Amino acid sequence: MAKVADSNGITVAPLRNLPIIKDLAVDMTGFFDKWARAQGRFVPGPGAATDFAVVPPDSRERRAADAAIECIGCGVCHAACDVVSWNPDYLGPAALNRAWTLVNDVRDGARDERLAAVAGDAGCHACHTQQNCRAFCPKHLDPTASIAGLKRATVLAALKGKI
Amino acid sequence: MSGASRRIETLLWTAQRASAAVLAVCVAVHLVTVVYAVRGGLSAAEILARTRGSVGWLLFYGLFVLAVAVHAPLGVRTILREMTPWRGRSLDVAAAAFALFLVAFGWRAIGGLFA
Repeated sequence: MAKVADSNGITVAPLRNLPIIKDLAVDMTGFFDKWARAQGRFVPGPGAATDFAVVPPDSRERRAADAAIECIGCGVCHAACDVVSWNPDYLGPAALNRAWTLVNDVRDGARDERLAAVAGDAGCHACHTQQNCRAFCPKHLDPTASIAGLKRATVLAALKGKI
Repeated sequence: MSGASRRIETLLWTAQRASAAVLAVCVAVHLVTVVYAVRGGLSAAEILARTRGSVGWLLFYGLFVLAVAVHAPLGVRTILREMTPWRGRSLDVAAAAFALFLVAFGWRAIGGLFA
């Protein structure tokens, strides 16, 4: 309790940046639509049906995916993000964090499409690195770092003409 | 947003980051120079005597103005898109016009120091 109850008081409120249905219940449809827009689903690569993929646990990609994979989809980061409140189209920290785990999934076959989906002013480049997502994540994830990774990956892809 | 414009948005974002890196150096050099000139008590004529014909200062401030002209319009465009309903082609044209304005008047000022 000490971590959440400053001066023995807590405020209970519905998640910010989402339409309120009633009391504390919000409509999370838009939140998960953003996961779909960010290509947050796994797309099997060409060799997926023929053999098991070997992913060394200490490889750079696996460690980057590990750092972001434990998201529980609670929406707290999306509620904490000021950029979402300014631009409701912004994909937000959770969807971008999910996209980053898949960009680092060596079995995935849709890297360039996903990077194109998360680029632009409603995607990773809108992030101001304010780190509210990181501060409020109940799983202690760092979506800001995931978004920074997407910024680097999209810049390289844009320079190579892949997006 | 189409694929092509996402690529352009990404490249513009890269240009703004790269110009920020250039500005970090240029602003530091500029401020040190200003403090040096003021503390040394240089007059306007003495400053002009140092900058006239100096290719080094011409190139330095030419690069400085170019970095400003890339950085500032992109940043203002982003702020306007976040804080106002203005977006789209008219905003892009306005940002490009602002960039041309900065280059034209910035280089004109440098021309006055050099020539």
